Formats: sequence, structure tokens, C-alpha cells
Amino acid sequence: MKNFLFFILALFFSVSAAYAADTRIWGEMIIPNILAYGTAENYNLGPLFVLLQSQYLRLVFAVAVIAVPAIFATHYFIVGPKVFIHDGNKIYIFSVFQRIIHLLAAVAFLLLVPTGLMIIFGRYLGGGTLVEFARHIHGFATIVFLVSVIPMFLFWFVEMLPTTYDIKWVFILGGYLSKQKKEIPAGKFNAGQKMWFWMCTLGGFVMIATGIFMYLQDFDYGIATALGVSQIDLLRISVIAHNILAVMITAFFFTHVYMSLFAIKGAIHSIITGYKEEDEVKHLHSMYYKKLLASGKK
Amino acid sequence: MSEQARMKFFCDTNRCIECFGCSVACAEAHELPVSISRRKVITMNKGVEGKEVSTSIACMHCTDAPCAQVCPVKCFYIREDGIVLHDKNKCIGCGYCLYACPFGAPQFPRDGAFGTKGAMDKCTMCAGGPEETNSAAERHLYGQNRIAEGKVPICAAMCATNALLVGDAEEVSAIYRQRVTSRGKGGA
Repeated sequence: MKNFLFFILALFFSVSAAYAADTRIWGEMIIPNILAYGTAENYNLGPLFVLLQSQYLRLVFAVAVIAVPAIFATHYFIVGPKVFIHDGNKIYIFSVFQRIIHLLAAVAFLLLVPTGLMIIFGRYLGGGTLVEFARHIHGFATIVFLVSVIPMFLFWFVEMLPTTYDIKWVFILGGYLSKQKKEIPAGKFNAGQKMWFWMCTLGGFVMIATGIFMYLQDFDYGIATALGVSQIDLLRISVIAHNILAVMITAFFFTHVYMSLFAIKGAIHSIITGYKEEDEVKHLHSMYYKKLLASGKK
Repeated sequence: MSEQARMKFFCDTNRCIECFGCSVACAEAHELPVSISRRKVITMNKGVEGKEVSTSIACMHCTDAPCAQVCPVKCFYIREDGIVLHDKNKCIGCGYCLYACPFGAPQFPRDGAFGTKGAMDKCTMCAGGPEETNSAAERHLYGQNRIAEGKVPICAAMCATNALLVGDAEEVSAIYRQRVTSRGKGGA
């Protein structure tokens, strides 16, 4: 824990030290940067970013932000939510530490996703102070996310590894297309949760790294050199990766919220109290339930 | 002239002597902070005899300005005469314009809390910004508005060798064409 705090503090100090670095964008590098713009040697990154940002980004985000909730609304009204017995036995599945870390991550996401969308659709908000404030909140929330995503990655890592029955889960879409209450093949976490976990952690690390690059802008930690690109191209790679990942993470985040709040009635209580309904575990996490029975823990 | 003039910069590398006068004049005229340098003098093939070339670069005021295309808050506007300007009160300092720019023109003062990036700053071709012309607010945010006063941008105005040219693209190219064709045809 001490080492972890030291790491976070060291990160802040190195952030402030980076400002003192010699310019890698506006100094001597300006000539090779001009010459490389729009050439195959730097993968045409400049014009590629201009094309993506000016033609596709807002459109793709608009589709994701409108279509994903629309699909779920349709699902809710046509198939409807899954309801499990809530006055039966409960199974303790999330420790206090896990719940606190998850709460931190939830706060971070509730700040990151809306502020990120505010930046992308900033022109409809008129820009200026409001959107700039959103950008600052986006940066601040990154710290909350970083603090929560590292322990989360470590304590759920093993349980999130894919298994063979996860393939089955994907083929029946987790059984969410039918109202039938039957046993779904899934461990403590189902394939959908696993996808979200890897997207959120590994994708999250990429988001944090690329976000820090863009925040610092002109720094020299040897990262660009190690990747064999110029500093400006590192920033271009960062913004493209950040925005493409952002679409996917936003869609998954909406899915996660829909599942916990609406699709399974009362499912959110397990991450608040730590207890999940036995009926729910038996049906939606049948493999895990069988393991509990076999080990005599249940 | 039937068509609207398109304002362009051009630096004659046969005349530029790397004196940094344009860069200093710009910084002084617009009272720029130390970290910002809207106009830069660069030298290629430094020390290589016969091959050393110097030129002065700043915002090129592109016709299809990529900065304006990527700005998430649409803070850029292109004047009828082709000068690319931006609204610092709309700018959120995200840095997208820098990623899009081929010339590294947009720069960001670190004046926010914790050294966060402030509103972008770049060459205005001495044409100020969207605020009231020659108002204190315009001067504070963008520097002088010499264009409104009928003056040449300060960098070109002070260029001792007349290397840095500015004006309607046609006229600038006419001057350069004349320079090229008359070269070596002097004498008594």
C-alpha cells in the first residue's frame, strides 16, 4: 500500500518535472515534423487524424450514444428484465475493499464519460468556460480512475480469465433474449462482464497513458523514441487511439449500467451490500454456483 | 481585382539571413509570454557550406486550414481575405489543432491551475481576434491589430532584407517571380 501511494506521488512529481523539458515539438524537431507531414513514413497520421476528427468521430459517437440506449430500451419493453427471488438466501461475493474500489471506479466513470462527451460535442455547447471546465474534470477524474483501476485489475484478474463455457454464453447472448429462467453457463463473472473488465482495465490503461501524453504534450521520457516516432506523431497516435477506445468503452459502460440497474432487477445491490441473491447466482452464474455447492461453501 | 485577395506569407530563402528580427519583433509587438513564439526562424543544413538555408515560419493561414476542421468547439474562423483566426474565449485548450497542423503553429501557455494548458495561441497575421477591433480586450488576448490600421504585419514590416513577404498571394508571387527572373541579369 505504501509503495502504491509512493508510485502515485512520484507520478505527480514527474508530471511537474516534465514541463521543464526542452521542447520536442516547437524546437529543432519542427523541420522534420513539417517534412514528414502527410507522408507514408509517418503513416499519414496528420491527415488521418484530420479525416477521422472532421468526418467520422462525432457521427460515430452520436450513433453509439443514441443507438445503444435505444437497443436497451427496446429490449426492456419487448423481452423485459429478469426477476429473481429477493427474500431467499444470499451469497456474499464482494468484499468491502472490492466494493470501495468499485465505488471509486464508478465515480470516475460518471465523471469521465459525460465530460468526455462534452468535449466531443463541445461545439453544440458553445465551447468556452463550460467545456474547458469539463476538460479539467476529465483530467482530475483520471486520477480517481487510476487509483481504482490498478487494484481492481489485480483482485479480479484471475476470475476474469476466459473459460470454455464463456463461448457458449456469447452464443446465447447470456440468455438475455428470452424471458425463460434457466441456468446460464457462467463463472463468478459471465463472458459479458469479462469483456467489460478487459476493456475497462487494459483499455483503461491505454486511455490513461494516451490521456497523460496529451495532457503533458511536450515531454521527453523516451517514449516516442522507444516507439520510433516523433513526439507530434506520438500525440497523433494517442488522440486516435484515445477516441476509438472511448467509443467502445462508452458503449460497454452503458451496457454495464443497463445490466446492473434495469436488465436484472436489483442486481446493483450486490456491489453495495456485497450479497447476491442465491436464486440469481444459481441461474446466471451456474458454474460458480455448482463450484460453491461442490466445495461445501454453500 | 475581381477576386477577393488571399493573404499569404512567403519567406524568400535567398534573402533570409537568420537575424531573428521577425521573431523578436512579433514577440515584442504582441507582448507574448516567454514560452510563446508565434514566429520562428529555422535553419537547415546548418554549417554545410553552400547548402545552409534559413527561413521564417509561423501559421501559414492555410486555405483548407486543418486546425479549423478538427476543432471540437469550432473556435476558428477564416476571414474573407483568408486570414485564419480563432476565438480564445471559445478555445478549451485541447490541443487538437496542434495535432492537425503541418507546421506546429498552435502553442499553449501553461497558465492554468497545476500548469494545465490554456487557450491556444498562434500568429494572427496581426489581425487580432473576434473582439471589438483595437479594443483593450482584443489587444490583451491577441496582440496588435495592425491590419485594421492599414499596416503590414510587424514581422514583414521590420524584415531588413525584405525576405519575409506578406500580402495578396498573387502579388507576393509576382514579386518573387520578378526577383527570380532578374537574378544574375544586373550589371552596369
